[in-house]
Amino acid sequence: MRRAQRYYPIIPVLVAYAMLLGYGLLFPGKWQLVAQLAFYCTLGQAFNLFMGMTGYVDFGYVAFIGIGTYGMAISIYYLYDKGLGLFIVVIGFILAAIFSTLLSLAVGAVALRLRGAYFAIATIGVNEGFRYLIEGARIWNGADGIIFSLHLKKAVGRETMMVLSTFWADVLVFTVAIAAAVLTLVFMRNKVGYALMALRMDEDAAKVMGINVTKYKIIAFITSATLAGLLGAAAWALKLTYIYPVDAFAIHYTVEAIIIVLLGGAGTLMGPIVGGLIYGVAKYFLAIVLPGFQLLIFAPIIITIIVIFPEGTVGILKKRVMGTALQKYII
Amino acid sequence: MALLRCENVTKRFGGLVAVDSMTFEIDSGELMAIVGPNGAGKTTMFNLINGVFPADEGKIWFEDLDVTNFPAYKRAHLGMGRTFQIPRPFASASVQENIAIGAMFGSAGAEINVERAMEMADHYIEIIGLKKHRDKPAGGLTPTEKKLVEIARALAMKPRLLLMDEAMAGMNPKDIDGMVSFIRHIRDTEGIAIVSMVEHIMRAVAGLAERVIVMHQGALLVDEPTREALTDPRVVEVYLGHPPEEIDAQG
Repeated sequence: MRRAQRYYPIIPVLVAYAMLLGYGLLFPGKWQLVAQLAFYCTLGQAFNLFMGMTGYVDFGYVAFIGIGTYGMAISIYYLYDKGLGLFIVVIGFILAAIFSTLLSLAVGAVALRLRGAYFAIATIGVNEGFRYLIEGARIWNGADGIIFSLHLKKAVGRETMMVLSTFWADVLVFTVAIAAAVLTLVFMRNKVGYALMALRMDEDAAKVMGINVTKYKIIAFITSATLAGLLGAAAWALKLTYIYPVDAFAIHYTVEAIIIVLLGGAGTLMGPIVGGLIYGVAKYFLAIVLPGFQLLIFAPIIITIIVIFPEGTVGILKKRVMGTALQKYII
Repeated sequence: MALLRCENVTKRFGGLVAVDSMTFEIDSGELMAIVGPNGAGKTTMFNLINGVFPADEGKIWFEDLDVTNFPAYKRAHLGMGRTFQIPRPFASASVQENIAIGAMFGSAGAEINVERAMEMADHYIEIIGLKKHRDKPAGGLTPTEKKLVEIARALAMKPRLLLMDEAMAGMNPKDIDGMVSFIRHIRDTEGIAIVSMVEHIMRAVAGLAERVIVMHQGALLVDEPTREALTDPRVVEVYLGHPPEEIDAQG
């Protein structure tokens, strides 16, 4: 395959996100739905980079979104009166990336030496432990959280703040999604992707083949976590302008991420978009049709789909197009 | 200089001594077999050599480098290849990708990019004669084909020592002969030492190995040239039990 051709699969990804964004711009009334869908797609896209590529399930994933949210919150909360203007948002993203990277390094260095269920249990522990640390030690206002809408208003002005949290925050979420997709494809097309593929299928055989499995797992883990941090900074901090530890470390977001990745197809490039859209749209309409019961109905449907189609939507599609002209676009 | 040197290597699993103070050497380019009945500790010995788990006692040198505490991936970088008794190709990856992974992360891996690895994979696919299956997932191949893919994957690592775990188990005599001549062929063309582990197919051992190590209950029983080893009374006893006259004498 020629070099450029190997990156063709990014085309349908960009088209899908452009269509979603375009729909939101054309129908302003649907912008909230589009923003929600973009959040789910991004969540899946970022989580897939770790869970889909390595086969490890991180039940503490939301902690990286949470700590990223805190990164942005701290920047705005403490620097609003320094006359930095919109630059505090840039600093916020940098802090979000640094915080989530450091936390993932600390968690990964320990937890990634564990296998399968032990890894999953350890990550739940980290998530809960971190939340109680913030609440108990009253770090960053503890359980009272950080409410920084006034600070943001003072820093950038009322008008800018409105546009920032109702429009640009969501556009930035799209940006994170595309960054995650591009990184996924770059991984897949380079040695790191092959190392991850090998360790996902047979970790012991991978070691014997000369693959330093811990190193590659940590690479995927940190990349995925840093993207989650940026997602938190955009989708939660900038959009909501407050953060409480109880929300920042709520495990149901991790569960949603797992569902999205499995629905779409773990380890595929298009999977998280398809999974995010199916999940987001289904949740949206079930909430209208049967408010309050959506999760009760949703759970058995998801279990059924995952049992019948373990490869996910895109996993099946990928098999179908094998040997056709579409093959080079869908992975 | 020996390629691989094991000195008093011991491994215990709880109270069971799986490998009991094994001392032996393997020379460059040598074709040898580790033979022994089921449970003799052959696979454990292999796992100790290539670092799947560490030895409890003893030392292992590879090209005069003490690798006793090296993890498996580092030993692979130094030039140890390995195939498994039950083939373990990466099932949903294609045959070409499987072999390319060997090239990418093996002893020359640092200088080999993905494209070069794919080219190398094509070369080894040619050698094992599976060109028509190049783009198929390795999980869908027959057991013999999977074994060939595993061998190709290990060869693509450019090893200096290749450990083959029961390469001929479950094959019919025709395939065994084919595999024996294939192994001899790759030793001659690639110039690597090959240690083949064999449980009971003496037909394969006789045609394949220049030297035989026989293991029994975790310990080294015999380390001799093939012909002597196969007729050694101690080896015959391990495999067939006491000769009839001895039983008569005892009974």
